Amino acid sequence: MQISYKPGSSFLYSLNPLIKGGLCFVLIMFFSLNGLQLPAMAGSLAMLLLFAVMGRLPLADLLLSIKRIWLLLVIVGLVQGFRGDSFELVPALEGMIRILGVFIAAGCYLTVSPQSELMFFWETIFRPLRLFRLPARELALVMVIAVRFLPVMLSEIDRIRMAQIARGARLGKGGFFSSAAALMPLMIPTLAQAIIRGEELAEAMEARGYRVSGNRTRYHRFGIGFFDVPAGFVALTVAALTVWSRFL
Amino acid sequence: MSAQLELKNLTVSYGGKPVAEKIDGSFGCGRINLLVGRAGSGKSSLLLTIAGFHSEFSGQILYDGAVFQPAGNFSLTFQDPESLFFNTSVGDEVEYSLRMRELAENEITPRAQQWLQRWGLEPEKFYSRHPFELSGGEKRRVALAACTVAMPPVILLDEPLAGLDANGQKALAEMLNQLAREHIVIVVTHEPEVFLHPDSNILFLREGQGSWFSGDDFLRQAVCNRDFYPLPRWYCHALAPFATVSSLPQVNAEAVASFVAREKSHADKL
Amino acid sequence: MIILDKVSFRYNEKSETSFKLKEVSFSCSKGSITGVIGGNGSGKSTVARLIAGMIEPQTGIVTVDGFAPFNHIGRCGFLAGIIFQTPDNQIVGTTVAEDLAFGLENLSVSYDEMQVRVRETAARFGLGDMLSTPVHYLSGGQKQLLCIASVMIMQPSWMIFDEPTSHLDPWARDNFWQTVKTFAREHDIGVMVVSQLAEDLHHFEQILAFNAGSLVFNGPIADLRASVEQLPWFRIPDAWKLEKILEARS
Repeated sequence: MQISYKPGSSFLYSLNPLIKGGLCFVLIMFFSLNGLQLPAMAGSLAMLLLFAVMGRLPLADLLLSIKRIWLLLVIVGLVQGFRGDSFELVPALEGMIRILGVFIAAGCYLTVSPQSELMFFWETIFRPLRLFRLPARELALVMVIAVRFLPVMLSEIDRIRMAQIARGARLGKGGFFSSAAALMPLMIPTLAQAIIRGEELAEAMEARGYRVSGNRTRYHRFGIGFFDVPAGFVALTVAALTVWSRFL
Repeated sequence: MSAQLELKNLTVSYGGKPVAEKIDGSFGCGRINLLVGRAGSGKSSLLLTIAGFHSEFSGQILYDGAVFQPAGNFSLTFQDPESLFFNTSVGDEVEYSLRMRELAENEITPRAQQWLQRWGLEPEKFYSRHPFELSGGEKRRVALAACTVAMPPVILLDEPLAGLDANGQKALAEMLNQLAREHIVIVVTHEPEVFLHPDSNILFLREGQGSWFSGDDFLRQAVCNRDFYPLPRWYCHALAPFATVSSLPQVNAEAVASFVAREKSHADKL
Repeated sequence: MIILDKVSFRYNEKSETSFKLKEVSFSCSKGSITGVIGGNGSGKSTVARLIAGMIEPQTGIVTVDGFAPFNHIGRCGFLAGIIFQTPDNQIVGTTVAEDLAFGLENLSVSYDEMQVRVRETAARFGLGDMLSTPVHYLSGGQKQLLCIASVMIMQPSWMIFDEPTSHLDPWARDNFWQTVKTFAREHDIGVMVVSQLAEDLHHFEQILAFNAGSLVFNGPIADLRASVEQLPWFRIPDAWKLEKILEARS
């Protein structure tokens, strides 16, 4: 199950992208750094899931996608559990809840945010870089384009893989530990095609008037809605709770 | 070689939806096999199913009476096969497939050179050159040679001529027709007129159904009805009065001119 | 009106496509479909890029409707839009609406006007109810339509198509030519198509033929037919060959 934007409408969807991103960041920090005990942490995770349900997110998809990190969860559980001389369940569970919390917070964020909102958030984050003469909006555009081309690149890699297997290449087996040489028939054509694609896209963008230093207006506008203020307070509260539980 | 690649009650699906249903028929050698249809009609999915890369299907694919085992028995090229290049010389590129099949070391280079020659490229001139230095047409020949050098019984090609100019297309179509004499060559194409011979075997996929035609039948239907398949207008226009004649000419000016002249003199005699 | 006056061009890097455009001069007016033909390396794609304002000539002048297109954006209208061969490598936005809006953002069009133009253009090209559809869900034909719509939304004076039909199926090719003819006839948009396919030839009314960087023919298609022997590199379409053979025999 892939975590990606799924259209919907609820108070979570209607939040300003900066608030969404901010909330996600604060939640990730909370689950990573909080100094709470197991019951409180479990309670926090339950609250997060409750908000996801109230926000009409496709929770089933989200929970199914946890399959992808089961190995990580087990490893963290074991590492935390064996910190002392013998296995202790409480630290193991605390470690696993932290990972789950981060994963679900990020998953919720990606589920309610279309590309344009993600781009706006990243662009705002990059804005201080303008002091160093780095183009924030353009960097965000690069990230968005990379994501837009991901499905295209994946199917291209697949075609290259099939054609090279037909030539006798041994791909598809060996996975992680295949030698670099064995993967050349896949890597080099993929890289070459990516470069060609990048060049053609750059040409097409220029042909449609794109200039890096240009004065570009915006198709998307993001305002402040009814739920943004309480959501902002929630974020501040969670941040304060993180600091208090950890350091005070 | 007289083995056939048979499709028995083959239904190919994609994401649960059937794209080609209950296809029955066979592809043989001795003549080229063409797979035509609109974009999205399932031609590529069918090709991938034969190659063993697409497993969402029901029915059977038989080779010489037994279930077709793709591994090592087919070659597959997609559009713009020159995108597969990853070696620094044409020779290495063509030899790759033979090396991976663990041919005897002293046989690899002669065989590769012979094959390259067959595709119209002299080894003395091309063998040590970098593939990216070649012209578009030359690259295409090297790519097709590199994909087929192991001479498997079944050769699958998805739009092998796309992007070439007319001269390049004609020359390569002829080469593929020659190859089809000894191998089962199945070509997905949007330009069947470049390949068509009267005895070509055509599978036309339309709305999930497959219909089989000989080259002749296909031409005849297309000449009578543009909605069936849009062949070049000059050809349909020139042959409209002769649609009932048993053997229509190939889609090139010289063949059509001879045909028309012959039919006219035939009519005059009568 | 497009005017090229003694234009020369050479790519700075020696790559496979580097060549010279030698002192090329011609003019094109709207109302008829102009075909730019020639083999690989003839200069036809360079001419297209010069007119679209992507590159600047080393010598000579290129003007579209009186303005130099190089780096020309905005105030006097978008001059010439260009569509390349592969739709996938031209689509920037992640949804249909975003891709349509991309050109307008570059032209600094106001927010309100953008919303209206995106909706109207999408409706015009049959993409009206697909505004929030992610681009990778579109079929090949829809992607090509999106590419055309995304350039048309910028209201260009001229549309240039660089080898548009070589990867299309025959039905899509027929549809494409229908669309192009509609632009040329009904929408006061100049149309130029770069092609090396013999079957495309009969769609053109005016022909510019290039060979090795020089303009070797400029005129109506009927004149090209008459002087075809003087162009040894030119591959005569089967339709013309057939007529010639039949004429000779009778």
